[in-house]
Order: sequence, then structure tokens, then C-alpha cells
Amino acid sequence: MELIIQTLVNGLLIGGIFIMIAVGFTLAFGVMDIIDFAVGEWVMLGAFAAYWLQTLVHVDPLLFFPVIMLTFGAAAYVFQPVLQSVINIKHRSAALMALAFTFGLSTFFRGAALTLWGFNNRNIVTFLSDQSINILGITLPALRVAATVFAVIITIGFMVFLNKTKTGVAIRAAAENKTIAGLMGIDGQKVARTVYAIYAALTSLAGVFIGSIFSVNPDMGLRYTAFAFFVVVAGGMGSFAGAIAAAILLGLIASFVSVYVGGAYIFLILFLFLYFVLLFFSKGILGKGL
Amino acid sequence: MFSRYGTLKNAMCGLGLVALLLLPFIIPTFWLRIFTGVSLWVGLALSWNMIGGYMGYISFGHGAFFGVGAYATALVMAHTPIPFGIAILISGTLTYLFARMVGYLTFRLNGTYFAIGTWAFAEMMRQVVLLLPFTGGSYGMRLPPVVNEGFFYYVMLALAVAVLIFSYFIFEKSSFGLKVKSVREEETAAQTLGIDVEKVKNQVFALSGLFPGVIGGAYAYWITYIHPDSVLGPLIADQMVVMVLLGGIGTVFGPVIGASLMYIGNRIIWVTWGDSSSYLVILGLAICFIIRFLPEGLIKLPIRESLRRIGVGARQAIPNEEVR
Repeated sequence: MELIIQTLVNGLLIGGIFIMIAVGFTLAFGVMDIIDFAVGEWVMLGAFAAYWLQTLVHVDPLLFFPVIMLTFGAAAYVFQPVLQSVINIKHRSAALMALAFTFGLSTFFRGAALTLWGFNNRNIVTFLSDQSINILGITLPALRVAATVFAVIITIGFMVFLNKTKTGVAIRAAAENKTIAGLMGIDGQKVARTVYAIYAALTSLAGVFIGSIFSVNPDMGLRYTAFAFFVVVAGGMGSFAGAIAAAILLGLIASFVSVYVGGAYIFLILFLFLYFVLLFFSKGILGKGL
Repeated sequence: MFSRYGTLKNAMCGLGLVALLLLPFIIPTFWLRIFTGVSLWVGLALSWNMIGGYMGYISFGHGAFFGVGAYATALVMAHTPIPFGIAILISGTLTYLFARMVGYLTFRLNGTYFAIGTWAFAEMMRQVVLLLPFTGGSYGMRLPPVVNEGFFYYVMLALAVAVLIFSYFIFEKSSFGLKVKSVREEETAAQTLGIDVEKVKNQVFALSGLFPGVIGGAYAYWITYIHPDSVLGPLIADQMVVMVLLGGIGTVFGPVIGASLMYIGNRIIWVTWGDSSSYLVILGLAICFIIRFLPEGLIKLPIRESLRRIGVGARQAIPNEEVR
């Protein structure tokens, strides 16, 4: 019984981190119509940013997360027009072109990281590492709790931003229908840049947490690309609530499979699940996708 | 066809083929292996082009067919006395049936969903091979080594030429090719013209899976050691896509150009630095640059016009002469 509860809690806490990736990724898909193959590499780069902040500047990366988020957001804001120009290419298979472009980016990032930093695993030590909370025999690692709490705060903050501010409403309008939003005087280009910046910032923050909880290496990205795809597809593309539900589901599946079936089976089961969700519930597990 | 340009082209093709056939007697083994690799990738790129170029459905899962072919051949040859020639035919048939099944399931989807679906499927296959009891898991499988580079060169060359001729006659010169293209341009319109869209899509997908299966089998026997990352890793499908995009998607010769350039480039980097990760940097940058600045591929560079200008194949452009 204790094991089940512990597994459940672990799953929920891991799911919390995936929410951070899911929220930005879904929004970017909604506004830019792009499935970013490089999402895992943003996670990897976020984790490396944290690692170098710790190694070179000797500060606790978890305390300096706003610096990392701002850097990534700014970089993405500057880079977005390039991506947009690819999305706007007049070509028979324009969607493929954008997909392949982000795939090229991800290959580039991974290759660059491997070339610069090698294959080694690195660890990030933060003030929360090795701390844990015990409640009724259930262990809650402080770092994972912090990550989940962060994810929840950010998601709520994000929802408020989307629903209550003018920019947020513009983003939602653009996600719903770009042409009509444009007629209402919403600058689609600016919205897309903002969204891409938010997405990169959130994903890099997830990278900081993932790097602190597990470890950092240049090859970690692929795994999180798979996770992000899982979340977006299982949640129904473009659906927020679905993405959050799918992120939690993903955490639970990963946690239960590794305890009761074996770690080697996680990806088989995830891809099997992803494939059949795609085939039979392409609107996502909550049926709210596009 | 009978213009000066066409004759020149035919003559050059003939000369090129003779040169390719004589290659094993001219160049050292090291280069022969590289040309074997070029043929392998030309075959794979052309196969992907069938579904990605002519059909307009992007598959990120074609590495799975290559891997299934490789493993099928390895298993057949490890457990039975069946010779290589028959083993690759068996694995080709198996891959065809397998592709038929995958296509049947995955064609419920379209666009981006189809791309992700094929990707998920291919990753699933890698996990399956890692876990099956008889595939050696992550250690992979060994085949009896045969040291005869000339033989493998001819096998790969024959396969590549077969795929090339097949692509040309089926997709460029037959009514089936027209059907496929009409489905690509507008599925609903094609349907109203009486084309069985589902059937066409499934046939093309299965054909584009058949050849990687056979080529995968030949690869396994050539390299004699396969493991899930080498034959089922994402890099196989990714390179097929990139080679086709580089050369020119939906054309016969684009994938040939793309595959040759990329594979030779890969080997040059490998010889110079001997380090695979810098290849990824260049590969990634190449993809981004091609898509941003040359989305139609190298084949659409205005070389033909330049040739005409200097008098080769000088001919007035005739409207509708070139069916694109």
C-alpha cells in the first residue's frame, strides 16, 4: 500500500515538471502552428545553463532561475522571426518545412552540445538537493516538490495572464483564429514572438529543474522531446486542460511502469499509448483538442 | 526525348552506369565502401521520396522498415541455412506486409498527426527490438562475415538502380503516378474523380517500405553487426528526409543528388575529424539553411538555364513541355 502511494506521489511530482513543458509547448503550437522538434533541446540547454551558472559563477542555479528564463526568453524573441520566415515559406508542404526546420535546429543543438561538452553526465547541486520531507512514511524529495509547486504557480499565473491581461487575450485570440484576430488589430507577428519567448523561458526553467533532479548531459533532449510530444498529442493539440492532464498522466505512467513493470518498458508503453491515442482519440484524452 | 538535350542526357546516363560498373576495378577498397554507402542512401532516399515527395505524406518512421529488414535478414540467416539472396527477398516481403499493416493503421491520420504517428511507431519498434528475447537486445546481432567489398557494391548499386528505375516508371511515367500526384494535390478532388484514395495511399506507403526493407537486409549482411541504435535509430529516417529535401522533394533525381552529396560530405567529415558529433552540427545547420533558402532543393538551382546559355541542349522552352 505504501509503495502504491509512494509511486503515485512520485508520478504526480514528475508530472508537475512536465506541466511546465506542456503549457508553453501547447501555446506555441496553438499560435504558431508549429510542432517544435527542438523542445527537448531547450530543456537540455536550460539544464546546461544551470550547470554553468553553478560551475563558473558559483551561485545556486535554482535561486537564479529568473536570469536563465530571461536569457532564454530574449534569445527566443530575437530568433523567432527566422522561424516565422520558415513557417511563411510558400511551398507545397509548408508544414513539413517548418517541422523539418525545427528538426534541423534540434540536431544542431544536440551536435553542438555533444561537441562542446562531451558525453559525460554532470550534476547540479542546489540548496534543495538531498533534502526531503517525510509524511506518514511517504518520502517527498524537496526538489521535486519545489518543481511541482513552481509548475502550479506558473500555470496559475499563466492562466491569469492569458485571461486577464490585454496581451493574454490577444494571444488567445491569435491562437483561435489568426486572420480574424488580425482584423481586430492584433499584431500576429508580435504575439507569435511573445509566445515563442514565453515557451522558451518555461522550457528552460523545466530544464533547470530536470537537470537538478536527474543529471545533465547533451543527449537528454530526445527523451523530453518524446515526452512533450506525448503530452501535446495525448492532451489534444492546442488544448491547455488536456495538456495538463496528459502531463500528469505521463508522470503516473512513467512512475508506475518503472516500479511495477520495469524501467526498460517505459518508452515502449509510452509510444504504444501515444500511437493508439493518436489513432483513436486524435482530439486527446479529454476530447478538447483541435 | 530525341532533342539534343535528351540525347546528351541519355549518353551521360549510359556512360555514368558503365563507369559505376567498372568502379571496383579502379578505386581502392576504402572508396569502394563509400560508394557502396552512397548507393545504399540513394536507395533509401528514393524510397522515402515515394511517400514524402509523390504522396505528400511525411513519414518520420521509415527507419523502422530499414531496421525490420535488417533484423529479418539477420534472424533468417542466423537460424536457417537460407542463402543471402533469398533471405533479403523474404525480409523484403515481410517488410512489405509490415508496411501494409502500419499504413493501414496510420492513414487514419494526416498532416502533422501522420508525421508524429509514424515517428511514434518507429520509436516503438526500436523499443520492441530492445526487449524481444531473440534479437539480442541492445547488444544486437552478428552475421557471418563475408569479406567481398565488390559483391556488396554491386548488390547496393543494383538495389539503388532498381529503386531509381522503379520510381521513374511508376511515379513519373504511369497512370498510377498521376493518381498518386492527384491525391497529393487535392485528396477530395481526386476522390470525386473516382480514385480510391485510401488504396493508393496504402499502396505507396507499402512500396516505400518494401525497398528500405530489402536495403536494410543487404546492409545487415554487409556490416555483419547490427544493433537497435544503428538500424532503428531516429537518424536513419531523419537522414532520408534531409537527403530528399536537399536534393529536391518529389523529383526522381533530387534524392540521388541529395543522398550522394550528404553521404560523401558525412564521410569527408568523418575522415577529417573522426568524430561523429561535429557531423550533427553541420547536418543541423545544413537542414536549416536548405529549408530557409532553398526549399525546392538543389535540383531547382538554375543549372539547366546556365547550360542552355552556354549552348548545351540549346532549345526554346516549349510550354507544358516539362511536367512538374
